Amino acid sequence: MRQYPILLKPAYYSFRNRTRRVEPGTKLRTLALGLLAISVWAFTFYAFVKVLRYFQGIEFIGPLLATKLLSMIFLVFFGILIISNIITALSTYYLADELEILNQVPAEPSALFFSRFTESLLESSWMVLFFGFPIFLSYGVVNASPLIYYLWFPLVLAFFLLIPGTIGVSVTLLLVNLFPARRTREILLFLALLIFIAIYLMFRLLRPERLADPEAFQSIVSYFAAFQIPTSSYHPYIWATNAILPALNGWPGGNGFLSLALLMSTGLAFVFLSNWLHQGMYRRGFSRSQEAKRSGYFRRTPLDYVLVLVTFPFSPPTRAIFVKEVKFFFRDTTQWSQLFLLAALVTVYLYNFKAIPLSRAGMPTFFVQNLISFLNLALAGFVLAALSARFVFPMVSMEGRAFWIIRSSPLSARQVIWAKFGVMIFPLLILSETLIIFSNHLLQVSRFMNYLSAITMFFMTFGIVGLALGVGSMYPRFHLENPAKIAAGYGGVVYMLISMAFIGVVVALEARPVYFYFMSYFRGIPITTEEWIGFSFYFVTAAALNVIAFLLPIRMGIKSLEKIPLP
Amino acid sequence: MIETINLTKQYFKLAAVKDLNLNVRAGEIFGFLGPNGAGKTTTLRIIGGLIQPTRGTARVFGHDVVKDPVAARQIIGFIPDRPFLYQKLTGEEFLRFIAQIWNLDDRKAKMEMDRLFEVFDLSDWRNELIESYSHGMKQKLVMVSALLHEPKAIVIDEPFVGLDPRATRLVKDIFSEYRRKGCAILLSTHTLSVAEEIADRIGIIHLGSLIAVGTADELKKRVGSGDEKLEEIFLKLTSPFKEPEKLDAAVSHPT
Repeated sequence: MRQYPILLKPAYYSFRNRTRRVEPGTKLRTLALGLLAISVWAFTFYAFVKVLRYFQGIEFIGPLLATKLLSMIFLVFFGILIISNIITALSTYYLADELEILNQVPAEPSALFFSRFTESLLESSWMVLFFGFPIFLSYGVVNASPLIYYLWFPLVLAFFLLIPGTIGVSVTLLLVNLFPARRTREILLFLALLIFIAIYLMFRLLRPERLADPEAFQSIVSYFAAFQIPTSSYHPYIWATNAILPALNGWPGGNGFLSLALLMSTGLAFVFLSNWLHQGMYRRGFSRSQEAKRSGYFRRTPLDYVLVLVTFPFSPPTRAIFVKEVKFFFRDTTQWSQLFLLAALVTVYLYNFKAIPLSRAGMPTFFVQNLISFLNLALAGFVLAALSARFVFPMVSMEGRAFWIIRSSPLSARQVIWAKFGVMIFPLLILSETLIIFSNHLLQVSRFMNYLSAITMFFMTFGIVGLALGVGSMYPRFHLENPAKIAAGYGGVVYMLISMAFIGVVVALEARPVYFYFMSYFRGIPITTEEWIGFSFYFVTAAALNVIAFLLPIRMGIKSLEKIPLP
Repeated sequence: MIETINLTKQYFKLAAVKDLNLNVRAGEIFGFLGPNGAGKTTTLRIIGGLIQPTRGTARVFGHDVVKDPVAARQIIGFIPDRPFLYQKLTGEEFLRFIAQIWNLDDRKAKMEMDRLFEVFDLSDWRNELIESYSHGMKQKLVMVSALLHEPKAIVIDEPFVGLDPRATRLVKDIFSEYRRKGCAILLSTHTLSVAEEIADRIGIIHLGSLIAVGTADELKKRVGSGDEKLEEIFLKLTSPFKEPEKLDAAVSHPT
C-alpha cells in the first residue's frame, strides 16, 4: 500500500494544474459558475428551511414528515450514487487513457484498486455531497441542533457514500466481464436517461401543484402518516436516517451509534469485498476492454436513401457535411438518446398549457390567454436557446481532433458553417413552431396572437441558431467529446447571456404594440392607420434585430474559424 | 511545386519556423528532417493550410496557401502524423465524404476508392466503423483519402509510423509512382534510412531554420568525409551544442 499515495498523485496534479491554468475567460467562467452554485445552494437551503418549518407547525405528523423526507433524500441519493458510481468506475477502472500506463507499472493490485476507488468515489460523489450539504444544514438550523450534529452528519455521510461506491465498483467489475466496457457505459447512460425521463414525466403528470389545494393535501398527509420509519432494517438509507435523527437533538445515543456502526461495518466490508473481486476479475475485464471489436457491417439503411433525397438540391460538399452530421448524430448514443429527453420536454411543455387553470386567474379569460401566449414566446425562445446550446453550439467543437480534415480540404469556412446551419435550422424550426402553435391552440388564443407568435418564433429561431453556431465557432473546444461539457464553457456562457438578452429585447419590442392591440380590442376602439404605422416601427426593429442576431455571429464565426489554431 | 519564401511562424516569443525558404520541385521527393520541435510539423501544417504563418509565403503550384487556400488545398494531399478521423463513420463513408468535399465525379471516385481499398488491403474493413480500426489501418485510410483526388502535391508528416513492413514498402512504391507522374512530395520523417532511400533531396531544419539542403551524397561530402551515414550527418548538424549560425561555416548555404 506504499504505492497508494503515489498512484493518486497524477490525479491530484491534474486537478491542481486545472485550477491553476488561466485561459481567456477563466475568471468570468469561475465567477459565473460560482454564482450559480451559490444560488442553487442558497435556494436549496432556503426551500428546505421553509418546508421543515412548515412541517414543524403541523401537530403530531409534522416531525414524522420531516423524518420521512430525510429518509427519502437518503434513498434518492443512494439510487443516484449507485448509477453514478457504476458509470464513473467504468471510466476510472477500464476506459481512462492513463490505465495503459498504470496497468503496466509494477504496482500492487491493492494499491491500484484503492487509488482508483478513491478517484472514482470522489468523482461520483462530490456533487451529491455539495448539494446535499445545505439540506443537512437546514435540518440542523430548523431543529436548533447542538454542535455535535454538525460534526456527526459529515461522518454519517462519509460512511454512507462508501456503500453505493463499493456497490458501483463491484457491479462494474462483474458487468465488464460480461459485456464490452464501452457498450456497457453507453447502455447505462441511456438507462439513466430513461429513468430520469420517467421520473420527470411521472412527477409532472402527478400534478404536484395540487399540493396547494388543502383538500388534496389532507389525503397526501394521511398517506405519509401511514409510513413509519422502521427502527431496524437492512437498508443503508434507513441506517443513515436513524444515525442522523438522534443527533438533531443532542448526543446521538445508542440508536445513533448503532446505526453509524452498521454503516461503517457494511461500508468497510464492502470495500474488502470489492477489493477481493478486483483481485480476481480485473485483469480479465481490462484485457477485454482493450480488445478492438469489429463493430458489425454497415450496409445502406433507409436513412441513407432519405439523406440522398433530402440533400439532392445541394452541392456535393454541402451534401457531404450534411450526411456526416446526421450519421454522427444517430450513431452516437450520447446524442440520439437526447431525443427522448426532448420528447419528454415537449410533452411536459404542452401539458403545462393544458393544465393551466385559466378561469381561476381573476382576470378576463381572453386577456389571460393572450398574455400567457405572449409570455410563451419568451419561454419557447428560452427552450430553443437551451436546446441550441446542447445541439448547435457544440457543432464545430464536435469536429474534435478530426478538424484537420475540414481544414486541409478545399472547403471554405463559409461552406462548413452554412452546411452545419442547414442541418440544424429545419428540425429546430419545426420544433419551435410546434411548441408555439400547439400551445396557442391549447390556450385558444386570438388569431392575431397566433400569427404574431408563429412569425416572431420563425425569425427568432434563425437568430438563436445563428447565435449558437456563430459563438460556438468563435469559442470551439476541440479537446472535449461530450457536447454538454462543450456548452458549459466560457463560450457557452457568453452565448446563453447574449441569447437571453436577444429574446428579452425582441419580446419587449413587441410588448407595446401587443398591449395596445389588446386594450383597443378590450375597449372596442379600432386601431387607426397611424397607430398601425407606429406599431410597425417596433416590429421592423424586432425583425432587424433578428437579422443581425442571425447574420453577424455567423459572419464572425466564419472569420474566427478561418484563423483558429488546430486542436 | 511547393515553395516557401521567408516563411515564419511565431508562437508568442518562440519562433517555431524562421524565414524558411524551401523549394520542392514537381516530380521530386523532398525529405524534411530535423530533431523534435525543430519546426517540421509547423511548416507542413502551414503548407497544408492548417495553420496560418506569422509572415512569409507558401505556394503550391503557384497557389498561395493563405491568399488562395481553396485552390491550393484542391491539389494537395495532406497526411498528418496522427490519424484523427471521424470515428462514427465507416471507412467507405469517410472516403465518400472526402470525394464529395473535393467534388469528384461519383463514378470515378468509386472506382478509385475500390482500387485504393484493394491496394491498401482495407477492403474487408471498408464497411466497419473507423473506431474499430487499428492505428496502422487508420494511417492507411488517411493515405487513401489523401490520394483519392489524385493530388499534384503531397505533404506528409511521418508517413511510416504504425505501418507494417509490407505497408511501408507499398507506401514507398506509391510515392515513387506519384513522383514519376510529376507530383511534388514533401515528406517529413525521423526514419533517416527511409529518407536516404527514397528522397531525391534532403533538407535539415534545426531551431526553425533550414540549415542544410542537398542530396544525401552532397550533405555527406559537405559535412564529413563522404563515407558517413546520414545519421552521423544529422547528429553533427543538429548537435545541441551548436547554434544554427555557427553551422554556416560547416555547411554551404541552402539553395
